Amino acid sequence: MKLKNILSIVTITTLLAACGQHLTVPSDAKMESRLPKIYPDYTEVTIPANICPMNFIVQEGETEVRARLTYPDGEFIYGEGQKVQIDENQWQEILRSAKGKEIKVEVYAKIGDQWTAYQPFNIYVAEDSIDEYISYRAIQPSYVAYERLSINQRNLTNFDEREIYNNMSVSSEKVGQCINCHSYQNFKTDNMLFHMRQGYGGTMIVTNGELRKVDLKTDETLSAGVYPAWHPTHNLIAFSTNKTGQSFHTKDLNKIEVQDTESDLILYDVDKNEVSIISELDDELEVFPTWSPDGKKLYFCSAHFEYYNDSIEKSAEMIQRYKEVKYSLYSVDFNPDTKEFSNVEMVYDAASDSINQSVTLPRVSPDGRYLLFAQAEFGCFHVWHADADIYMMNLKTKEIQKLDAVNSDRSESYPTWSSNGRWIMVDSRRDDGNYTRPYIAYFDKKGKAHKAFMLPQKDPNYYTFYLRSFNRPEFMIEPVTISPREFAAKAKEDAIPAKYADR
Amino acid sequence: MKKYLKYIYILAFITVAYILLPVMNADYLYTIQDNNVFINGHTFMMDIVQHAGGWITWVACYLTQFFYYPWLGSTFLILLWVAIYWITIWMFRISDKFSFLALIIPSLLLYHLLDYGYWIYYAKAPAFPFVPTILVIFCLLFTWGVMFLTRNLKISWRWKGLIALSLLFVVIMTVNWLCPSSPWHFNYNYRHSILTTLTDKNFRHELRMYRALDEFRFEDVFKEMPTNQEQAPTNLMVLYKNIALMHTGQMDKMFETGNCGIKPELGDSLKIRTSLLGAPIVYYMFGHINYAYRWAMENSVQYGLSFRSLKIMTRCALFNQEFDAAAKYIALLKSSTFHRSWAIEHEQWMINSTHFFQSKDYQTISPLLNDYENRLDGDDGLCEQFLLEYYSALDHAKTPLLEDVMMCMTLWSKDFYAYCFNFYDYVNHHPNDPLPALYQEGAILFGNSEESPITLNRFKFDDMVADKYNGFVQEYNSLQYQGMDEQEIANRLKPLYGNTYWWYYYFYNDFNIY
Repeated sequence: MKLKNILSIVTITTLLAACGQHLTVPSDAKMESRLPKIYPDYTEVTIPANICPMNFIVQEGETEVRARLTYPDGEFIYGEGQKVQIDENQWQEILRSAKGKEIKVEVYAKIGDQWTAYQPFNIYVAEDSIDEYISYRAIQPSYVAYERLSINQRNLTNFDEREIYNNMSVSSEKVGQCINCHSYQNFKTDNMLFHMRQGYGGTMIVTNGELRKVDLKTDETLSAGVYPAWHPTHNLIAFSTNKTGQSFHTKDLNKIEVQDTESDLILYDVDKNEVSIISELDDELEVFPTWSPDGKKLYFCSAHFEYYNDSIEKSAEMIQRYKEVKYSLYSVDFNPDTKEFSNVEMVYDAASDSINQSVTLPRVSPDGRYLLFAQAEFGCFHVWHADADIYMMNLKTKEIQKLDAVNSDRSESYPTWSSNGRWIMVDSRRDDGNYTRPYIAYFDKKGKAHKAFMLPQKDPNYYTFYLRSFNRPEFMIEPVTISPREFAAKAKEDAIPAKYADR
Repeated sequence: MKKYLKYIYILAFITVAYILLPVMNADYLYTIQDNNVFINGHTFMMDIVQHAGGWITWVACYLTQFFYYPWLGSTFLILLWVAIYWITIWMFRISDKFSFLALIIPSLLLYHLLDYGYWIYYAKAPAFPFVPTILVIFCLLFTWGVMFLTRNLKISWRWKGLIALSLLFVVIMTVNWLCPSSPWHFNYNYRHSILTTLTDKNFRHELRMYRALDEFRFEDVFKEMPTNQEQAPTNLMVLYKNIALMHTGQMDKMFETGNCGIKPELGDSLKIRTSLLGAPIVYYMFGHINYAYRWAMENSVQYGLSFRSLKIMTRCALFNQEFDAAAKYIALLKSSTFHRSWAIEHEQWMINSTHFFQSKDYQTISPLLNDYENRLDGDDGLCEQFLLEYYSALDHAKTPLLEDVMMCMTLWSKDFYAYCFNFYDYVNHHPNDPLPALYQEGAILFGNSEESPITLNRFKFDDMVADKYNGFVQEYNSLQYQGMDEQEIANRLKPLYGNTYWWYYYFYNDFNIY
């Protein structure tokens, strides 16, 4: 009897406490005719129909907040301290109801004893979904050093995140390596790759779910494969090969220049383990290959650069003339059956006197109609160039437009498409100028990009305290199933040398 | 008496541990803390605990921050060692007479902590002072748990212990296999650095000099320079000392105060680099903000984020007016236990620029700020060499401080031509000022060279300096005539001329930059 009484009291107290947490919006708030300062900025953005909750923090001083989310079938109110963290189940209900419509968000902030109501804003829910996963390299915005980095995969429909591979798993005080350039065929993960450099160097390639480690450096090629592009229909990968150097600004806030003193393009036949040359022209720095969706065209960037001074090393001359290096956009036809390349064509002469810019990181939309790229005044490493912005070319009309909706006055680079072509993701340093964050923008059927939003996190303060960049974010329609342990075990094995095939 | 033995043993151990840790090695412990990071909050915690064994690392990071006050951190650590001692005695039913055996593990843990030496900069495992201790406690409690669960089995406690240890071995090996990046993954490098920690005076001088520089206590930097001529300072100590001289307007005293650095001789395989030990603060003090930021970042990437790097990155971001980045670092430091007040103070720099302009940082460093045209360059990890070459390549100083720096750096690097040009500039800028003795020494030395662009008779040198030079030359020639080799001559001339530029110029040729 006594135990029963205690249990009853506990139950009632718990229920009362739960009732006490029911939130309301203040009725006596004074109106403010401006939008609230929220972080991340989710005002008037268009979001996928399957995205995780858009949690945010209200930056109106040290305060208490309420946010009322009104959707076609009802409303929910949230607020804990300055944070607005939306219940995941309720969010699913909101998304289901608001698909193709909007969610109205009213924000209230209490400063002192006074509540203020800000101008409401909408979050538009698109009819279109987004790929379930992205992967990215988590790395501090470093210069030369590497070690503490990992390739992670994040589920966009919730907040689940796990490591694909952690570089520290095979690292010690004496042996270290860098990992980079993860890439997938057609957004799937049974054909994927990433590189390791130095220590346990090699390219980790997964084909049909089977993992191997290969050494793509041959006597006839400049380097191992660097920037990769999986062919969409065949087991082929185009790579650039690069002799890359880094140098550092003594004063300029861009801080660093990454330059290729030489670069070429190669094709790797995964099944035959063979490397062949695509392009190795003198005085041309070819880089950033990317396939058209039908696999019949390879786009790439190339800068014409002639070394004049024989008395100094190429790298030294490159440093002296770094602002002269400007990349234009080219394409070359490809026959997947014969593996023959032909008919190199200038697609966008960015380096011409009239434009005088440098194009990098081209990516063709899955429907083949558009091509995204990053453009800045010079060079190939736009993540360190504050003036870098994302542009889009209509491949039919060759018309180019700057995507103002996704750009900022800081660096934007590494544009990618979702598998359905409705979402663009870019790497942006708009928050603080140093740490790249993934921003996602809706790209509607009319070819218009909408305001970009930062990848939501469970804790909206996450980005403030997270000191790594989201490097090279890529969409995936499925998770990587090979475990970090399997990758680590393979990493310690010797790489299989690739053969060179003269064509 | 016998029943008190176990108390006597542990009291003796505690005494030794306190002497070896906060009494003798407070700076060592403080630096470990400075190279560690612990941020209160969910993001930092999740960043660590998502890895297998992450909770142990997180707890260890939490405890390591208490070395901010070395006696406090040491007390926590010693208490854990005392716990290990008692648990061991209790679990294995060790008699009073043999209770000293229970000190084996705490002693090894103490040795492990002191065995780092210069490795404190290179250790990739975070919070290394506490991780092994927590692991040992976990292992002991695991063993005790198994023995407790098997208490009703009719086998001896020794067999139970054996079963427990076997299970523990299986658990560790399984975790090690499943989670190769966990702290259970024993990737042990032999260090043999305990002698560095306990006996290398230069190592300790460097630790203290760094902290003094970081806090703008320049007089304390001078105190760390050895007065005994037998003890040569390291290159980094010389660099630190010269920075302190530079910011107290005494850079022309650099050769009087010992400028012949050596590379530390280490007993193990470690290849030490100034870029890791002190480049961020060195570049910062020279006003090379971008390079200071760079090395703070590089070191964080390779060896883990640290309070030290965060603070340098904050100050650099403030100097560069990258306020969004500065706010980020300040937010992190404000969430720490012991660096919060530092963060709040520096936040004021951002909120009110007057605070910034009145700060020691600004007032000290701004005369050196690099307002020359931007240069794309690199230091190949050798900050000392970069600075020497950088200032030798500059012409026409824009501030009096920079003028002195250029004069001294060209002397330091023995850059004959650059010094001569700087000397002309200097004399033209100060037609009525007395020439510092060092600059006269340089001019007399280089002016006597056949290819010198300096015409000696244009300038009036102090008789004392000129006479001393003549004395130096005469003695040098005389000793050479007597058949002495360079080293013998150097030793003979050192008492009288060791504090002159000439001695440095002629006899310090082992300029081993690292």
